[in-house]
Amino acid sequence: MAIITISRGSFSMGKSVAEKVAEKLNYGIISREVLLDASNHYNIPEIKLEKAIHDAPGILERYSHKKQEYISYIRSALVDKVVNDNIIYHGLAGHLLLKGISHVLKVRITANMESRISYVMKRDGISAHDAHALILENDNQRRKWTHSLYGQDPWDSSLYDLTIRIDKLSIDDAVNFICQTAKTDGFTTTEKSLQKIKDMALACHVKAALVHDFPDIGVTSEYGNVLIYLKPKDHVTSKLSKRLDEIRHRKGTIYNLEVHAGIPIPEDAV
Amino acid sequence: MPLIILSSNSKEEEKEIAKKLLQVKGYGGVDPGILSEVEAKYHIDTGKLAETLEQTPSFFEKMMSGKWQYRLACIEAEVIERLMKDNTVCWGLAAHLYVVGISHALKVRIIHANQTRIENIVEQQGIPVQRAQKWLDTENQRRKKWSLAAFNRDETDPSEYDLVINLDQIDLNEAVLTINGAASYRKFQPITYSMKSLSDLALSAKVRTTLLKSMQDIRVQTIDGTVLVFTKAFKQKKIEKIKEIKDLAGKIEGVRGVEVHVTNNLFGDISGNANS
Repeated sequence: MAIITISRGSFSMGKSVAEKVAEKLNYGIISREVLLDASNHYNIPEIKLEKAIHDAPGILERYSHKKQEYISYIRSALVDKVVNDNIIYHGLAGHLLLKGISHVLKVRITANMESRISYVMKRDGISAHDAHALILENDNQRRKWTHSLYGQDPWDSSLYDLTIRIDKLSIDDAVNFICQTAKTDGFTTTEKSLQKIKDMALACHVKAALVHDFPDIGVTSEYGNVLIYLKPKDHVTSKLSKRLDEIRHRKGTIYNLEVHAGIPIPEDAV
Repeated sequence: MPLIILSSNSKEEEKEIAKKLLQVKGYGGVDPGILSEVEAKYHIDTGKLAETLEQTPSFFEKMMSGKWQYRLACIEAEVIERLMKDNTVCWGLAAHLYVVGISHALKVRIIHANQTRIENIVEQQGIPVQRAQKWLDTENQRRKKWSLAAFNRDETDPSEYDLVINLDQIDLNEAVLTINGAASYRKFQPITYSMKSLSDLALSAKVRTTLLKSMQDIRVQTIDGTVLVFTKAFKQKKIEKIKEIKDLAGKIEGVRGVEVHVTNNLFGDISGNANS
């Protein structure tokens, strides 16, 4: 079976699609729960996490690394939630946070501007002009967020396996396509892909434990062998060594933990 | 009788999917092979037509010569005429950019992620990753620029399509099944209104082709056989241009009436003079 991420432009009926897919496949469904888990586990107010994953970083935030820190917590909570499979995540940035796992079906739902405007007008009781402005502002925030943190455009369809426009195709049509695709061989959970997501979960835990003090590190894991990558000019300080010892003791699933400095951080590092 | 229009950043797979759809559905295909018939009808070399679908002229070339727009219009007119005939799968002719507002047209884009394309380029051409990346960036920009210049639409924008399928993990045969399934939905069955819209689109294309042969900067819209032409002209030549357009468009079969809307444009006129 599979993990399905459903990304959408604001007010594009992605939530309805996600709920119907979950019902049809009998999958679990999550969205905000990830923020709640991260909030509880890392003791950060949920509002701050929500802001981190929704709003583009301001100029000062780009230097403070706070946003990256919060996103590391959210990512860790998300991977923990989906690691056991058969689940749909329709919150923000799932396609980026779970990148590289072959049994993750990444779906993007779009809708034409007219129907988005009409939805917002009805929901908020505002004029077409105001609804249009609100949608553009939301879209713009998503664009800036994705671009500033991942250097990518959320509207780039090559980030997704399937992009469906709800217009001539209905919500039910979209649900059918997604369910049909999720059952194909390409998205079947294999031993290898399952191991990969378990490794990702471990790497995310390690990163989340270190990110507050060491925001620039990258972490990978392969079968429990964890590699920590430092930026070229950084060195293994006594503070880092101490923290790594703590992590080794706390995480029984780590077989080996190594630190690499001076080599580029791999693309699949979290 | 739905109409399936394919677009892709992977031409070989687009063609393969189209061929499979033709087999499954028993449809007719409209593909770049029709360029030879455009050549016969409009006396434009097939090579030049194929080049028109790929290359964007410079701003100066576009301003000084309407030939590129004319060649595009000829292709458009021929394609739309064929799309009216029967169940059709159309690919390789940019129809997704000019067949607009037709409810029974299912538009699908077939893609591969940039990373996969880079890996393929590295393997096929034996060049370093960075060079492949640079080449791909240029190629993506070139296609975007072309579609915007030709039809004022960005072909990389997913909202132009009903479905975008990434073949990195979705098997090509699965993609065929998905497209086939979508095409059988009720929304993609032609209705009187959508057929009339297509017929109006075909007439607009015919009129535009006729007008662009001798003038530039022409936009055409058809409503129930009444043709609205929007253009620009030098003040003193306004009346003359309106008459010329009405004469030319009025002779085309199916045109019930012609309305011409002219706005003043000094630059348009200068380029028009240079072209005449």
